[in-house]
Amino acid sequence: MTRRVLEYPGAVAGLLFLGALICFALAAPLLGLDPLEQDIIASLEGPSATYWFGTDELGRDLFARAVFGARTSLSTAAGAVLIAGAIGVPIGLISGFFGGWRDALLMRFVDVLLALPGILLAMAMIAVLGRSQMAALVAVGITGVPGFARITRAQVLSLRARDFVTAVEALGASATYSMMRTVLPNAWSPILVQAVVLSSVAILLEAALAFLGVGIPPPTPSWGEMLRTGKSYLHEAPTYAVLPGLVLTLTILSLDSIGRSMAAVLERDDPLTPARQGRAA
Amino acid sequence: MTGYVLRRLAQMLPVLLIASLGIWAMIYAVPGGPAGMILGENATPQQLAALRAELGLDRSIVAQYWLWLSGALTGNMGRSIFYHQSVASLIMERLPATLQLGLCSIIVGLLLGMPVAVISAIRPGTWIDRVLSGWSALALGVPTFWLGILLILLFAVELRLLPSASAHVPFFEDPLAMLKNVALPAITLGTYVSGIFARFLRASLIAELNADYVRTARAKGLPERQVIGSHALSNALLPFVTVVGLMTANFIGGAVVTESVFTYPGLGRLLVQAISTRDYPLIQGAILVIMVIYMLTNLIVDVIYAYIDPRIEYA
Repeated sequence: MTRRVLEYPGAVAGLLFLGALICFALAAPLLGLDPLEQDIIASLEGPSATYWFGTDELGRDLFARAVFGARTSLSTAAGAVLIAGAIGVPIGLISGFFGGWRDALLMRFVDVLLALPGILLAMAMIAVLGRSQMAALVAVGITGVPGFARITRAQVLSLRARDFVTAVEALGASATYSMMRTVLPNAWSPILVQAVVLSSVAILLEAALAFLGVGIPPPTPSWGEMLRTGKSYLHEAPTYAVLPGLVLTLTILSLDSIGRSMAAVLERDDPLTPARQGRAA
Repeated sequence: MTGYVLRRLAQMLPVLLIASLGIWAMIYAVPGGPAGMILGENATPQQLAALRAELGLDRSIVAQYWLWLSGALTGNMGRSIFYHQSVASLIMERLPATLQLGLCSIIVGLLLGMPVAVISAIRPGTWIDRVLSGWSALALGVPTFWLGILLILLFAVELRLLPSASAHVPFFEDPLAMLKNVALPAITLGTYVSGIFARFLRASLIAELNADYVRTARAKGLPERQVIGSHALSNALLPFVTVVGLMTANFIGGAVVTESVFTYPGLGRLLVQAISTRDYPLIQGAILVIMVIYMLTNLIVDVIYAYIDPRIEYA
């Protein structure tokens, strides 16, 4: 699949950008970047050779903050996708495989999660959990559960009807064996596509929550928080909000274009596969 | 048809009931519970007990939920801790602003997205189609809050044409002032809507343009305008309606964020403020109202779809 995804120029551009971003995020401490060091005399400066993105109201290096913001964003997204997958995939698997009352019950649960738009569900959870990185991660993760559950269920339903599953069951395999060893391994591709799509949603959602002032609390550098504060200094330092926003946007567009290329490859290979769900946030 | 609507309502009811249970239970998950939250940390045990009795917190859980739900159904959602005002009246004050913004954004989205969809569907695969598809990816991918900031920078800070913070002015009071205030938020949210049009209407329009009846229409010498305008487009809107339903969630989420970017006094901003001030009755009320609006919108979309497409079985 990897090689065929690389046939799409959008996916290649996306992978290159994400690759560079991840390298910067990983190497940040080695590059001597400090997101918290203040140089109050040099506050709200524009981009320069010393400060590539300029400085914020406390004279902190905005480039360093953007790079450390990438760590926050990417790790929150990864954690959220893991949570969403760990809850959503089993729900979809059991629901699609067994059908009947289990299906009805689990899908009603998913419907309840879908009763609110994603961002509001996340805000409601944060209202209860309080503002912290963990709360943001869990809240964003839970909003991704319905996407995983539905895509897995649809995939399992279509696999169940295929001959090789019937054959395994005719050979006397237990339900657990046929579900875990026959159906699930064949359902991974669309789940993987969903994971990529969801990570772009998760990054957007995390940033939106921080922008609204209910996400990861300061002083942890976060792109959404930078946009929130930068918005107050549009006259003094226009690049303050613009550049971190650009990094955020490019990250989202990169993941989106990789996800869409993967879905297109999947659709070409196997038109029966439900390739992707709409965005959740 | 009536039966279909009733059945859909019946399906919606349990979901609404369970979701409302979740919203109601929120306040109990907060440290100190509802009474402690209202009175603050320095409350004496006597004060707490008195307030608990007043709020009905000494009754059974079922009775308490019923009290809250029946109150909410009759428009009594308690009092805001921060504003010292009834939650229902606060929400009713803000709701028109949000609806006005939503309507304007949809108009902007139509004006921007419809031509993009039609032009790229007429010439699929050409350079203009590719450029316009890029537009839809951009419109759907750019975070609304960043786009809003860019628009403020251009139109308010640089050109000084429009206000950077938008007030709510009812259309019938002063149409011009209303347009000035709603322009930037509506363009911000409308851009997202135009992306939906550009991507999904294009797809269904291309499918329609390959249909036999379009060939027949062309063969009998109808001008292309009419073939596309009155034949293909009206049929292409059918599958598109369901997409609109799926995108409502993003639209409402986008509205909440957009209102905060422009400090626009709508329901979304009220909710964000309520969360910052930990004003739980207001949080509950705002979320409940948004949820009902969201689910009703989905219901209406489904009903419209079933109504305009006679091929849909109501069963």
